[in-house]
Amino acid sequence: MTAVPRSGYIGRSVHRREDEYLLRGKGQFLDDLPEPRDTLHVALVLSPHAHARITRIDVSAAMALEGVVAVLTGAEMAKLVKPMDSGTTIDGYINSLRPVVATDKVRFVGEYVAVVLADHPYVAHDAAELVEVEYDSLPSVAHIEQAVVPDAPLVHDHIPGNVSFRSEFSTGDVAGAFSGDVLTLKESFRSGWVGGVPIEPRGCFALPEHVGDAITLYTSTQIPHIVRTGVADHVNMPESLLRVVVPEVGGGFGTKANVYPEEIIVVALARKFRRAVKWVQDRREELLNNIHARNHIYHVEAAFTRDGVITGLKLELLTNGGAYTSFPFGCTLEATGGARMIMGPYRIRNYAYRIACVVTNTCPAGAYRGVAQPSCFMAMEGMLDRIGRLLGIDPAEVRRRNLVQPSEMPWVNAVGVRYDTGSYAQCLERALEISGYAAIRARQSGGRLVDGKYRGIGICCFTESTGTGAPGWRARGLARVPGIDSAMIRIDPTGKVFATISQAGSGQGHLTTFAQLVADQVGARLEDVTIVEGDTALSPYGSGTVASRSAIAAGGAVIKAGRQVAAKIRRLAADRLEVSPDDILLSDGRAHVAGVPELGIDFRQLARWAYGFDAPLPEGEQHGLEASDVYDPPMVTIANAVHIAMVAVDPQDATVTIEKYVVVHDCGRVINPMIVDGQIHGGVVQGIGGALMEEFVYDDEGQMVNASLLDYLLPTSMDAPDFVIEHIETPTTDALGGFKGVGEAGVIGAIPAVVNAVADALADRAANVNQIPLRPSYIYRLLHGAS
Amino acid sequence: MQLQLSVNGKTYSRMVEPRYLLADFLRHELGLKGTHIGCEHGVCGACTVLINGRTARSCLHFAIDVAGAELTTVEGLVDENDQLDPVQQAFRQHHALQCGFCTPGFLLTVHEFLGRNPDPTPAQIREALTNNICRCTGYANIVKAVSAAAAALRANAGTRQAEAS
Amino acid sequence: MKPAPFRYFAPATLAGALDLLAEHGEEARILAGGQSLVPLMNLRVLKPASLISINHCPELDYIRATPDAIVIGAAARQAAGEESAEVARHCPLLAATLPFVGGAANRNRGTICGSLAHADPLAELPACAIALEAEFVLARAGGRRTVPARQFFVAELTNCLDSGEMLEAVRFPSVRDADVRAAFVEVGNRKHGFAVAGVAVQFALDAAGRCADVRIAGIGFGPVPRRFTSSEDLLAGARPSEAVFLEAGKLASGESGGGSDIHADAAYRKAMAGVLVERALRKALSTSGRA
Repeated sequence: MTAVPRSGYIGRSVHRREDEYLLRGKGQFLDDLPEPRDTLHVALVLSPHAHARITRIDVSAAMALEGVVAVLTGAEMAKLVKPMDSGTTIDGYINSLRPVVATDKVRFVGEYVAVVLADHPYVAHDAAELVEVEYDSLPSVAHIEQAVVPDAPLVHDHIPGNVSFRSEFSTGDVAGAFSGDVLTLKESFRSGWVGGVPIEPRGCFALPEHVGDAITLYTSTQIPHIVRTGVADHVNMPESLLRVVVPEVGGGFGTKANVYPEEIIVVALARKFRRAVKWVQDRREELLNNIHARNHIYHVEAAFTRDGVITGLKLELLTNGGAYTSFPFGCTLEATGGARMIMGPYRIRNYAYRIACVVTNTCPAGAYRGVAQPSCFMAMEGMLDRIGRLLGIDPAEVRRRNLVQPSEMPWVNAVGVRYDTGSYAQCLERALEISGYAAIRARQSGGRLVDGKYRGIGICCFTESTGTGAPGWRARGLARVPGIDSAMIRIDPTGKVFATISQAGSGQGHLTTFAQLVADQVGARLEDVTIVEGDTALSPYGSGTVASRSAIAAGGAVIKAGRQVAAKIRRLAADRLEVSPDDILLSDGRAHVAGVPELGIDFRQLARWAYGFDAPLPEGEQHGLEASDVYDPPMVTIANAVHIAMVAVDPQDATVTIEKYVVVHDCGRVINPMIVDGQIHGGVVQGIGGALMEEFVYDDEGQMVNASLLDYLLPTSMDAPDFVIEHIETPTTDALGGFKGVGEAGVIGAIPAVVNAVADALADRAANVNQIPLRPSYIYRLLHGAS
Repeated sequence: MQLQLSVNGKTYSRMVEPRYLLADFLRHELGLKGTHIGCEHGVCGACTVLINGRTARSCLHFAIDVAGAELTTVEGLVDENDQLDPVQQAFRQHHALQCGFCTPGFLLTVHEFLGRNPDPTPAQIREALTNNICRCTGYANIVKAVSAAAAALRANAGTRQAEAS
Repeated sequence: MKPAPFRYFAPATLAGALDLLAEHGEEARILAGGQSLVPLMNLRVLKPASLISINHCPELDYIRATPDAIVIGAAARQAAGEESAEVARHCPLLAATLPFVGGAANRNRGTICGSLAHADPLAELPACAIALEAEFVLARAGGRRTVPARQFFVAELTNCLDSGEMLEAVRFPSVRDADVRAAFVEVGNRKHGFAVAGVAVQFALDAAGRCADVRIAGIGFGPVPRRFTSSEDLLAGARPSEAVFLEAGKLASGESGGGSDIHADAAYRKAMAGVLVERALRKALSTSGRA
C-alpha cells in the first residue's frame, strides 16, 4: 500500500501550538465557555440506593426555593426524551434500555431521579437537596460472583441470571491440543473496577440559536458525531438542527467516549425552555457515574509442550457490565475484546472461549483506555511466566518460542484478526537488551532479595488493536460506531490551508500532528495550516477519538483528501507553467517544476486563480480548491510493543517501587515522536495506577465506598518512573499512511508488566500474584501467607 | 458581603455570598478561567493559586475569607508583553502538558518550589510535585521541564546579577 | 458540589470570636485553614449555619517559646511551624512531623490547631500531640480550661470541645535534655499522601548514651492516636541498638489494634505497627540531636 514518502514534517517532534494558549490558562474547557445571563444550571438528584423502587417524589420544597425554575422527575423527562438504546447487535446479547432519568426503579447508586434547573449553580445544588424521594429498597447484587449465583436478585427482570451477553467459540482442534504429550496449566486472574478519572470532570452546555430551532451542544466528549446522532435521536429532533462542539477537553481516556444522559437532558431542556442549559459534573459524580471498566475475571487454561510451546488455549471470561448498557460501547466491548486479543503476538491456533457480560447494580461499564487488553494480557503474560516457572525455562525464552515470526506475516489469529506487519521478536530482543535482562537474571540466581528488597523483572509482549474500521465494530456488535473517519482540506484565497477532521482530541496534540500531516500532503508550510476538529458543523462525519484510531482513520482521510487537493494544485500549476502535472513538486506553500525550483507559483496565486479572482480556469476545472474524503480503515490495525518493568518490593511494608521501565514500541510510521512518547508515559502511569492502587470499591449492598480522590488513589509523580523508550517503525501495509495507533499502548503493557514484575520479585516466596490492584496489604498477605 | 482583594496586581471590589468558593470567584466573577476545578476536596491541585505569594488550593477557600490578600493566578505569569515565563517555556519545550487542565496548578507549584530550591534533584522535584495530579503526562516530562526551568531561572538570576554589578 | 449557605463572621479578636461562638452555639464552626473543613462542606457532609473565621485575627496567629513550652495559637499556619526556628529547636518531633502533613499548598494555609481539632484518625499532628502529651487550651466567652491531649481526642473525628468552646492554642512541651532525637514515619498505598499508618517517636539520650523519656505514638491503629507504652518502657534506660529497636517493634505489633478497611486489613496494620516503630526509632537515632 502506498506509504507517504518520508519528507517534511512527518517524524518530527514539532512543539505544540496548543501549548501557547494552554500554558497561559486560556484554554476554553467546558466550564470556561461564556454563558448567557439567563442560563439555566442543572443539578441532578442521585439515587442513594443500588436497587430500589421509587415510591414517591415531592419536588415542592425544591420548587419553592428562590431561583429555581423547574424540577423534573423521570416521568416528566420521559415525555421529552426516549430511553437510551445502545443498539448493540450481536448474537447472545439481551438488550436493555436506560431511562435518561429513572421513572419507577433505580438500579445503581448515582442513577438520576430528578433534574433541577435554577438560575445559579449553587442554588441548583441547594434545590437538589430539597427534593424528597422515597424508596422501597430491593435486594441488589454488586459483584460478579453475587450476580451469577442461582436465584440472585435480578438487575433487569428480562435478563435471566443477570447475564446480558454470552458467546462461545472454538477453532482448530482444541481437544487434540489438550491431549497427548502435553502439560496443562490453569489459572484465574482478576481485575477490579477502575475508571479513566480525567482531572476535568464532564460537563455539557446546550445553547439555542437566537433565531430558529437549532441548538449547539458544547460537551466534553471524544465522540462529537456519535453524540450528535445519538442525542438528536433521543430527543426526537432533526439531527441537522443539532450542532455539537467540543471545547478543550481535560483528559478523555475513553471515559468521555460515551453518550451520557446529561447530554440528552440539557438539549431536551434547552428546547423546552428555549434557554441555555448547563451542567457541570463534580468529582463525586465523576467517580460514581462516569463509565467504569475492567472488572474482569479470567479463567485460563493452556496446553503446552515440555519446550513451552503452547498448543492450545481455553478462556472463560466474565466481565462486569454494570446496571445498564452504555452508549455506544455497551457491555459487549470488553468481553469480545478480551476474547479476540488474548492470543496477542503468539502462535495459538487451537483456541476456545466462553465469554459473558454480567449485569450488576453498579455504574455502567464502558470503554477505558485499553479496554480488555490490559487484563487479557495480564492473563496471557501471566500464563507464559507460569509456564516458564513450571518448566524451568526463562520467561523471555518461553515468549520467543511462541511469538509469530516476521516470516509468518501477514498472520491471521485464531479469531480471524489479521496482523499485517509487526516486529514482535525484534521488540522483545531490543527491550531485553536495554533492560540488561540477562544480567538481572544472573543476579537472581542467588535469590530475589537484592540490597534488602525483593527485586523482580516483568515482561509484557503484546499486540494492540488500533484503527478499527466499520467491519471491526460490526463484528463486536457496536451498531452506533460508524467506523469511518473523514477530512476536508481547503486552501483559501489567501493561500493558507484549512483542514477539518472528524476527531476530538483531549490532549493528544491533534492541532499540531494533523497540521504536520496535512502540510506534508499538500506541500504547505506548517505554519500556514490550521486544523479544526470537534465541531460537527465544520467537521465531516466520523467516529471520534477512541480506540487508538486517529492517526490511522483520520490520517487516512487526510491522505485521501490531500491527494485530491494536491492533484488539483499540480494541475493548475502545470497549466500555468506549461509542464505536465507529473513534473510539479509541492513544498513550502509553493508549486514548482521538478529540478527548476525558481520556476514556480505560490499557493496564494494559485488559490486566487482557483477562486475566480484571475483568468478563467482551464477547461473542465471546477472553481475552488478543496476536497473532502472518507476513510474506512481496515477491520483492525495491529500495533505491538514490549514493556519491561523492574520493581522492588519492600519485605517489611510490602510497598512496590518501579525502579526502571523500558518500552520498545512499534506503531508504524510515527508522525510526532515527542507526542507518541508522551502518550506512552501517560498510559504507563495509568497502568501503574491500575496495577497497584486504583479500584472503585463497592460494598455488598452496591454502595461505592470510595467516591472521592481521598480514597480512589491516583498515581503521583513519586509513583511514576523514568522511562526508556525506543521506537521501531514497521509501517502497516493494510492502512493508508503506514500509521498504527498508540494511544492505549501504555496502559495495555504496563499492567501485565508490573504484575509480572511483582510476581517475579516474590518468586522465592511462591506467591501467586493474579489479581489487581496489588495493594501493600495484599502483597503482605502473599509474603506471609494468608491468614 | 463586600470583598476587596488584589489578583495579578489588580485590585477588585465585589459583592459575594460568603459561601462562594475562591476558585469560582476567580473564574466566574473575575473571568480568570485559567484556574481549574478538578475535585473540590483539595487533592488534585488543579485549582492551585498563590495567596500572598504562597500556594493554596482555591477550591478550599471562600472568596470572602481572603479579603485583602494578594493573589497570583496562572494569568499573572506572562510578562507585560504576554511572553511565557521560563517555567512555561520549559513546559512547552519538554512536552510537559497534554490536555492542559492540571497545568496552571503545576506552574504555580513549580514557581513556589523553585523559589525555595533553585537547584533541585529529580527526586526532590518528584517529591515537590506529589500533590499535583496529572492524568495525561505520566510526570516524566514535567520533571524534565522543571529541571530545565530551574537551570533557566538560575541563568537569568546570574545574568541579572552580572548586569547589576 | 457546592457548599450550603452559611453566615460568615471575621472577628478581629479572640474575644470577638468567643462571643460569636457563644451566640451561635452548636451550629457554628471555626474556620481556620479550611483544609479539613472545607472539603467536607463542599461535599455537603457538613453544613454549619455559621462560620467564624479566625483568619483575620492576628492575636491568634503566633508561635511562641515560653520557658517550658512552644505555644501555638489557633491561627498559626503549619508552614509557619515548619519554618520556625523555635519549633525546630524546642520541639523537634513537631518539626519532623510537619512535612508529612499534606502538601505545601495545604500547609501554607492549614493550621496546626485546625488539624488537631479535626481529629482525623490518620492525621499526623495528633500523633505528635499524644506522644508529647501536649496541652490544649480551650477557650469560651468567660473562661478557658486546659486539657491534656489524651482527653482532647475522644473518638474518630471527635474532640472534647463543648458547644461554645474553641481551641485557642496548643502547648507542646519543650525538650529539656541536651540530646533529643525525633522522627515521624508513615506508610500508605502510594508513595505519598493518605497514610495507612504512621508512628511518631522521640527520645533523649543521656550522658551515658541511654534512652530516656521515650515517646512513641501511632496513627492508624484505632480511632485516636495511641501510645506504645510497652515499647517505651522497653527502651527506657536501654542503649539504642538494632536489636532493642526490633524488640520494641515486636511489642508494638503485639499489642496494636487497627481495623480493616478498603486500604489495608487489620493484619497489615498490626504488622506495620512493628515495622514503623522500628523505622521511626532508627530514623530518629540518625538525626543529629539538639544543640
